[in-house]
Amino acid sequence: MSSTSALPDSVKPHLPGETGVWMFIIGDILVFSLLFSVFVYDRSQEVALFVEQQQLLNQTLGLLNTVLLLTSSWLVALAVHGARAGQLARARGCFVLAILCGIGFVVIKYFEWGEKFAAGLTIETNNFFMYYYLMTGIHLLHMVIGIGVLVFLWQSVRGAEFDAQGVGVLESGACFWHLVDILWIALFALLYLMR
Amino acid sequence: MNIRNQLICAWSAIGFAAICLAGFLFADFIPPISPNLSAEEVATIYRENTLPMRFGILLIMSSAGFICSFAAALSMQMKRIEGDLVPVFTYTQLGAGCVTTLVFVFASVFWTGAAFRPDHDPELTRMLNDIGWITLLMTFAPFIIQNIALGLCILSDKQAEPIFPRWVGYYNLWVAVLFVPGGLLTFFKTGPFAWDGLFVWWVPFLVFFTWYIAMFYILLGTIKRQAQSEPAVAA
Repeated sequence: MSSTSALPDSVKPHLPGETGVWMFIIGDILVFSLLFSVFVYDRSQEVALFVEQQQLLNQTLGLLNTVLLLTSSWLVALAVHGARAGQLARARGCFVLAILCGIGFVVIKYFEWGEKFAAGLTIETNNFFMYYYLMTGIHLLHMVIGIGVLVFLWQSVRGAEFDAQGVGVLESGACFWHLVDILWIALFALLYLMR
Repeated sequence: MNIRNQLICAWSAIGFAAICLAGFLFADFIPPISPNLSAEEVATIYRENTLPMRFGILLIMSSAGFICSFAAALSMQMKRIEGDLVPVFTYTQLGAGCVTTLVFVFASVFWTGAAFRPDHDPELTRMLNDIGWITLLMTFAPFIIQNIALGLCILSDKQAEPIFPRWVGYYNLWVAVLFVPGGLLTFFKTGPFAWDGLFVWWVPFLVFFTWYIAMFYILLGTIKRQAQSEPAVAA
């Protein structure tokens, strides 16, 4: 992005990644906000059921996943910092760890869903579990795409051809990963914690 | 010649959107017939509105072919990004885009099946009505591949003056995400993920038709820029 502003570089506001990525992120947040609003509205119609059914969720696994995602976001931020400073090996290492955290999240989700299925709780059980499977499912789709993005970023950090443009790509991808993270935090609060 | 033919195909987006929407209005399909109705209720709707429904469904059928020519118009500009050698996203977009024509063709066929003999067994009317709506709204697969191919192609444009603005690439990826929930209609008769719900009907419906209008304007811009930068093509 070229800017004709007279400000010195250190004062210029810096938008990480490219503008188009932010359009996608804002668009996605808009849709999730709509989903969250519908959830809150439907919940207000059946508060007793939602509160009662919420007890059946495994908060420990939910919390564990939150920690995994926050850690992975931190690792991705470290990776981008490392890449900016030219420490490519460190950046690659951070990406690998972040990818492992992401895979850990998916594996835990598999066991969590398995536990619910075994207890006879499915998408058709009631409205609470409908939202539980839908919201965590749509988020899981974002996770899988996000892990794909991280793998792409990891292999893009290579010595010779890595330049300032490469850092821009890292920032764009990292922003998507942070989006996946922030959506989970909102979702975790709504599904697992809201009383 | 080349520019004029491209413009004809680009305008087919407007032809599609206008005729198809008119069809939905005539058939009184906005909002959709609820999946939660009894067979008798569905049959009554078809019995009492037979003529406008037949006509509206016929309009939807008539609009469907324009999807192909618009996908071809998009492909011509995509090919300028990918080149003649390996235009793989271009072909993916063209193929998947043309398949989306079939969604409208077959949905019209099934609805017509229901409206053709409005006096037959209500269970049969409802089943054909079900299949029509499921065909229209569950079939997200070709739509998202069309959008993803177009989005990735635009984002892969490395020229100093890109053919499409880059944000259009991200816009298409976002649109792809919005079509995915259509698949969930298989589980529900009511609520936001039933076929008359917020995430299966309203959001995809609005996003789909605004996509046609937005991509039409964007495409006109790219064709205009091509006419200026490659006068040989315009001649």
